[in-house]
Amino acid sequence: MTTVSTSAFYDRSNLDMAALRARANNLQAAISSGQRLGAGSDDPVAAARIRTLTRLDSFAEVDTAVAGRASADLMLADQTLSDFTGSLIRVKELAVQAANGILTAGQRAGIATELGQISSELVRLANTRDSAGHALFGGNTAGAAYTLDASGNPVYAGTASASDLPLGDGQTVTRGLTGPEFLNFTGPSGATNLFAVVKTLSDALAGAVPDPAQAARDALGTLDTGLETITTQQTVIGARLNWIDLNIERQVQMSQQRSAEEAAVGGTDLSLTVSQLQQTMTVLEASQASFARLAGLSLFTLLR
Amino acid sequence: MSSDLLSIAASGVRAARAALDVSSQNIANAATEGYVRRTIRLSEMAGAGSYGRIGDLSLSGVRVDGLTRNADSFRQAEARRTGSDARRAGVELQAYQNVEAALEQARLYPALTAFEASLQRLTTDPVNPSLRSAVLEDARTLARTFNIAAQGLDTIAAGLQFDATAGTAQVNLLAAQLARVNVQLARTVPGTSDQVALLDQRDTLLKGLSDYVDVSASIAADQSVAVRIGGAAGPQLVSGSTAASLSMTTAADGTLSFALGASPVTLAAGSLAAAAQGLVMVRDSHAQLDSVAAALIAAANTAQGGGVALDGSPGAPLFSGTTAATIGLALASGAGLATAPAGAPAGSRDPANLTALRGALASADITGQTNGLLFDVSSATRGRKLTSEALDAIAGAARLSLDRQAGVDLDEEAINLVRYQQAFQACGKAIQVAADLFDTLLAIR
Repeated sequence: MTTVSTSAFYDRSNLDMAALRARANNLQAAISSGQRLGAGSDDPVAAARIRTLTRLDSFAEVDTAVAGRASADLMLADQTLSDFTGSLIRVKELAVQAANGILTAGQRAGIATELGQISSELVRLANTRDSAGHALFGGNTAGAAYTLDASGNPVYAGTASASDLPLGDGQTVTRGLTGPEFLNFTGPSGATNLFAVVKTLSDALAGAVPDPAQAARDALGTLDTGLETITTQQTVIGARLNWIDLNIERQVQMSQQRSAEEAAVGGTDLSLTVSQLQQTMTVLEASQASFARLAGLSLFTLLR
Repeated sequence: MSSDLLSIAASGVRAARAALDVSSQNIANAATEGYVRRTIRLSEMAGAGSYGRIGDLSLSGVRVDGLTRNADSFRQAEARRTGSDARRAGVELQAYQNVEAALEQARLYPALTAFEASLQRLTTDPVNPSLRSAVLEDARTLARTFNIAAQGLDTIAAGLQFDATAGTAQVNLLAAQLARVNVQLARTVPGTSDQVALLDQRDTLLKGLSDYVDVSASIAADQSVAVRIGGAAGPQLVSGSTAASLSMTTAADGTLSFALGASPVTLAAGSLAAAAQGLVMVRDSHAQLDSVAAALIAAANTAQGGGVALDGSPGAPLFSGTTAATIGLALASGAGLATAPAGAPAGSRDPANLTALRGALASADITGQTNGLLFDVSSATRGRKLTSEALDAIAGAARLSLDRQAGVDLDEEAINLVRYQQAFQACGKAIQVAADLFDTLLAIR
């Protein structure tokens, strides 16, 4: 004969209902947190994957900020190069005027004065600061890109090259140009730089050479080469900006993929979980109701 | 010898009363832990016919033979064994979950990621004081996170050791009580309520003992019990009236070993075995955490030494200490971070050494090691959880099967109450019949 002792009945009902309640509790926690995993031990592999994804997310955030910074600095450099171009075109205009043989010495001296102003404007432009307050064209230097020597000539004081900024996944971009990269070029009479060209022209017009008109005509060709150098470097900057845009676009795509994977690996499937919870609650209610009926079924209430 | 209707009826009344007493006792103890249902054993009293009186009626009624205790020693042993296993798995799982929580809630991995991310951010502008401070603060958070994780593990170890000490004392207490019960059992008469109560006590003590250690019990003819722990061939904890003393030794690395008297014992089940296993796991996790911290300290400090600080001086160590518990921040200010390569002038924006530092952290695989540590702990916890659930189910089934057989069924007791009440009333009627018969004889004139 199989008998069911009273304590066995209560114990078993208790175990069953406790298990159901624990299950309902877990499902509810998954729904309210949106996370399938409460602790790593719920699914160690998924938890490790989510850790890696979260780590990549936080690096991608920094990468995007870095790319934004690099992009801002390069755009500033582009703008400054345009200013350089503007000044150079004015220098060219003045050189064309000065090349005219009918000008008086006084008129040439006036042009020389304006060239002196432009020269100092060029130094000011070369010492432009970037968004962090550092020399935009000074490479990695801490101070100014150009300093003036004893005779007032600008001398490059920066480092040989600008450093690279990481864009994530091993991609980098060079963050800027150094002064010599766009200000130094090879003229008809060997290596020179823009400051020297403008200064020489200004000195010549002020009367340093016997034939200032010829000097101005000579300068025109050199100025063209200088202008060309700057335009070339502007193209380089444009290419780097494109590269950054490409990387940002890639970051966005990767981030979307990561979000999708995170949701797939660790997120709660709401419709499934809610229906499971509903099922569990139905079973729990049924077993509570049947427990109450069975527990009320005592022979003592019937015997009188 | 002749029958006596009055005394037969009287014995019936006594037996019915005793049976009613047993039923009420069962009902009263329906929810008592360790109580085993008793049934009354009745036997007929009848005199054998003797010489010259063959065919004579010689009936003397009924007598209470004794109490039967409905315990099945196999089911009891099974409940003890499975309960002991489930207890070990449960306590061990608790220890593993605590270790997992200590490592996960210290947020070691996020702190490491934040530190590396702020190093990466510093590459945009290595001389920026606020970015440098951010790196320093993230390094401080990381060092403290290691401290917190190490403290958490130490706290878990201390808790397990405390529990094991209390458990050892409890085992010795239970063993001493069991020895006393053995002595009393040897003196009681079988079938008496005295013996039955002592047997209940004996089984409850054994069950209590099996919560802490794996018990193998052998029961002698006089119902006294001999207990071995650590397997059937293990040393004897209780034998007759003597109980050996269980002692616990904590090694320098925090792990436990047990000895019974002078002989060492390896426990396989119960909460003491779980505490010992949990402490081994805590020790291993601690060693792994220490090795991650040491790798971080070595990688960061070596890379620092290879560059120059903001003021052009050689890079000083970033972290102090050697283990997860002792790691701390050694640099006083963000200016001390050696981002520029050796030989660079003061204030250099060259991030070559910062790149080298990030490379050193990546090649030492600090993140991978941390991830591995967390993965190891959580997958071990996962395994323990499955084992514990399975053993719980098995132990629950064994306990139910014991309860079914040994527990009180109130319906059955209700029926017994009615049955013996009727028996009592019937015996009363028999007494009345005897009195009527006597009156009839007296009335003859």
